[in-house]
Formats: sequence, structure tokens, C-alpha cells
Amino acid sequence: MVNTRSLSLERLSLWTVEMALEDGDEVDPGDVEEVAGSRLSSLNKGAWSSALSVSDFASCKEIGMSPVGFVQGCAVMQWAWYISNPYMGAANVLGGGGYAPNATRSGQYSETWRCPHGFVSADHRAYGYNFEQVWVEENWAKGFGLAYDRMMEEATTLGAHGVIGVVDEMRNLAGTGAVEFKINGTAVVVPGAKTPGRPFATFLSGQRLSKLLEAGFTPVSIVAHMSSVQMYGYCVTSYQMSGSGMGNWSGTVGGIGSIDQVGKAQRAARHLVRERIRAQLAGDTLHGAHLEISEHEMGEGAMSIACLMKGTRVRQFNDFAKLPDAEIVLRLA
Amino acid sequence: MDAKKAVDALSAPPRPTATHHNPAGTTSDLSVDEVLLLHSIGWEPADMVFGVAWWSVPWGSWQWRTGEIVEASNAFAGAMEEAAGQLRAECARAGGSGVVGVKVDLRVRAQHIDVSLTGTAIRRTGKKPTGFEFISDLSARDFAVLTRSGWTPLGLATGASFVIAPRRTAKQWAAQQGQNVELPHLTEALYQAREGAMARMQQAGISMHAQGIVDVKMDEGPMGAGGRVMQFVAVGTAVKLAASEHQMIRPEMVVTLNDPVVLFEAASVRGG
Repeated sequence: MVNTRSLSLERLSLWTVEMALEDGDEVDPGDVEEVAGSRLSSLNKGAWSSALSVSDFASCKEIGMSPVGFVQGCAVMQWAWYISNPYMGAANVLGGGGYAPNATRSGQYSETWRCPHGFVSADHRAYGYNFEQVWVEENWAKGFGLAYDRMMEEATTLGAHGVIGVVDEMRNLAGTGAVEFKINGTAVVVPGAKTPGRPFATFLSGQRLSKLLEAGFTPVSIVAHMSSVQMYGYCVTSYQMSGSGMGNWSGTVGGIGSIDQVGKAQRAARHLVRERIRAQLAGDTLHGAHLEISEHEMGEGAMSIACLMKGTRVRQFNDFAKLPDAEIVLRLA
Repeated sequence: MDAKKAVDALSAPPRPTATHHNPAGTTSDLSVDEVLLLHSIGWEPADMVFGVAWWSVPWGSWQWRTGEIVEASNAFAGAMEEAAGQLRAECARAGGSGVVGVKVDLRVRAQHIDVSLTGTAIRRTGKKPTGFEFISDLSARDFAVLTRSGWTPLGLATGASFVIAPRRTAKQWAAQQGQNVELPHLTEALYQAREGAMARMQQAGISMHAQGIVDVKMDEGPMGAGGRVMQFVAVGTAVKLAASEHQMIRPEMVVTLNDPVVLFEAASVRGG
């Protein structure tokens, strides 16, 4: 068994499980031929495969795209952050020891709060922290990125111009303590078009894709990011969230009021994900963004907030043609 | 549309967009249809914007009391106002003039009330930023229809009320056991919550100088396991007439031929 504590993040990401993997082997993520080669090469012999519905298929042919093959990528990541990161133990020492996250990088979010009460008791939460859990974000980005790159490599192998109708999923592999990232789509060619440096990719297909092109946008790639912020409340935050404790006799809390520390953590998680996505856009536009926010309470006055944002990066290549005014209809059926 | 031109464009350098306010890239959760619809009435997405506020409800607020829990109603109002203020600020920073499609996530816990607002800031196509004008939970489609009808949104009008019904006396309880009777203490609590919330929402509309509130969504019913706490939350978009009068849009009637068969529903006959 591999000792997770001794693995660097780099190695962790390579420690992936593929269907064809023997114990102890490592897959070179760059080598599609090994695992998917025979499936992909048989596509050249005749029938193509696609995950498009019949109507999406028809409407893609209509705009000049032909499916060449179903493409996919997956990566199984060990979600080791509970065990291996130094901060997770921090909750135990924060109150008494004044432990401060010291591994802040440039651009990483962190804020601290200090108890206004002076020494109260050994259990008193003298310090509070909000901090970005970069190791969680990195592990997510690696898992998603590996799966995505593998799918795109299959598309490149097929000589595709792009991948449409992309579907992605992240799920726990029951019993293994691991998380599977999988992503798939349908590779298409556009006869007569120049081959882009990298195939384009989009969540859209069918009518919606054709409307996107009609509107003068071309899909560039999938963009996705997950931000993760941990909040460990100092005494005031903790009282405000539980409505109990010192506030009732000291008068410092106990009223109705904004829980500042939580609000900041929540906003930080949202802003981080938006700005990281913006960095991936390089001046293009994010279309049809999907945002998922999940909170995980880790005990009284402590929580972890994750924001996942994904969408299609699109580039305008034509001016909007003025649409005829939309006709408003009243359906009688 | 020919996909060839679109794919060829990927090999060319990106075109500078004349109205790009944010050269680093715009984010939006609108669909293509919504972007096109907005464009048809002179608007375009500017950026996704967020507002989040958690407000505390003091300890003891829910204990040994009946009637409205004013602390909770006020915490709701405070959290809503703070979150909306953040949306306004983010909208202005993104060069937007309004926020559409605001998703209102509300969570009521015993000791805190959490509000999260997410929407897309929009701006007038090809014009300099005109400053903040409105927040609305209407979708881009509804916004387009509203605008074409001559109206403009002003902001979110909201109101909430949390009421604890009194306990029944032993005598009342005994008299009602096994009977088909109204439970007036619960009816009254619901009424009080409803009236309180709706009145606050209307007051919010009046203070925005609105002429009306559209698309009011209501969330009501018992809260938590106790069953005696009634909550009522109302959220809508305050609107006012921008044109001199309401513009009729005269919908064209169509009978679609591809609808699935609608099954007979007994509820429609009963009026339920």
C-alpha cells in the first residue's frame, strides 16, 4: 500500500487507477494509445460512435459538423486532504495555541480574527481563521484536468476539430476512499475547416450549439474550477452561529447582526472561483455558467465551503445580427 | 449557420469587442436564448455577481414565547438588505446597470438566517456604463417581456414573518380530541405570518416607489419539527412603468402539434 503522507501532490495525481491498470503500475496520462487505442483505431474502419441524441445529431449535421467518435477521459484521485494536510489538525490547536496558517501563497485568501474578550478560559476560541484550502483546489483541478486532457487527447487522435455535448461527473468510488472524475463527449469534424491548435470543446450540442454559432460565438473550451475555503470561527462567530455563550452576559454579541466572518468566507469562495475562471478565459466569455455551492459543517462554528463553477468558454467571431423581434406566443395546447 | 467559419475563427486571434468593459473576460450564466433576447432589447451580460449574508438570531428568541419572533423577521430583513447591497456594489463594479435572474437561496436556522443571492449583471449594449438601476429575480426572458411591455424592474421586494402558535390549554386539547374541527391557534398563526410578510414586502415596494410587484414567490408552512412555528416568506420584483403606458404585446396564439397528450387530471375538476 502506498503511504499517502509521503506522496507529493504531483505523485498523487499520477497515482490513478485505470481499467487496464495492474497493481503497482502507473499510467502515463499522456498515452492514450495504451488504454484506448484499439477502441479509437476501430473507429477508422467504418462506423463512428456518438453520445448525441438523434435530434442533436441531426442538428449538428445541419450546421456542418459530423461526429467521428465518442471520446472520454477519467482519473481517479485519492482525496487525501483530511489525512495529509497540515491544517486539518489545526482545529485542535487554533483555540489555545494561536496557530496561524503560514503557507500562504501570493493571491491565496486568508484572514484572521482575534478574540476581543481577553483570557476567558482555556476552551475559549481566541483566534478565528478563514483560509483558502489550496491543496483541495489543486487536487480537484488535477483530477478534472487529467480527465479533460485525456478526453481531448482522444479527440486529437481522431483528428477532430472539436468535442461537443460534453458531460462531466465527479463521484466517490464506493469503498475505495477515492474520487472518480469522468468526462465524455462526442468528437466532431467540420469538413473543410482549418484544424485548430487544440480541438474546441463545449457542453452544448444540437440546437443550442447551433444557436450559439448563429449568435456569432464559437466555442473554445470547457472551463471549470473549484474553490475551497475553510472557516474556523473565533469566539464571536461561534456565539453568533450557536446563539449561546458569552454574548448574553457580556453584551458583545447577543443582538441581531451580520455574522461577519461567515459572510466573508462565503464571499471569498464565490469570488475565488469567479476570478480563477476569469483567468482561464483570457479575454473570452464564459457562457452558460453552472455554479454549485456546498457547505460542510465541521463542528460548532467551523465549516468548509466549496464552490464549483463550470461552463463553455466562447469567443465572438461575428457581430450579433439583429434578430427579428421575438414573437410572443400563447400556446393553446 | 456554417460551422466552418466558426472553427476557422479559432485559428485567428480574438477580435477585440468594442463594448468590452472587462478585458479579462466576462462570466455569465445566461443561455444563448437569453443572450439573444437581451440583445434584441439592447442589453448584454456584464458579469456574474454574488451577495451573501448570514445574520444571527439571538439565543432565547424562540423559547417560551408565542406570536411573532421579531428577531427572526428582522434578521431576515437585515440579511436580505446586506446581500442585495453586495449585489449592487458588484454590479456597479462590473460596469452593469442591473442584475437579472437572481437566484434567492434562503435558509432559516434557529440561530441564524442565511441569504445567498446569485445573478448576472447586465449592461446596455454599446453604451457607457449608466450606473446601477435594478436587481430582479426575473429571468432574462421575463425581463425582456417586461421591458417590451413598457415596465422596468426596480429591485427585490421581500418580507418574512415567523410566528409561534400558542399551546392549547388542556381543556381546549381535550375538547378537540377526536373531532373534525378547525385548530384556530394554527390558522391564526399562519394568518399572522402571512399578513406580516406580505405587508413588509408591499412596504418594500412602496419605499422603492414601485407601482407593483410581479412574480411574487411564497414559501409558507410549519418550520422544523415542533410544528408550532409558522413561517411565511414572500419575494418578488418591484416594477414601475417606464413608458407612458403599458405596451400591449398581443401574443400570437398557436396550437402546438407536438405536445405530449395531457392526461385528464381530477384535481382540475375539483378546483384544486
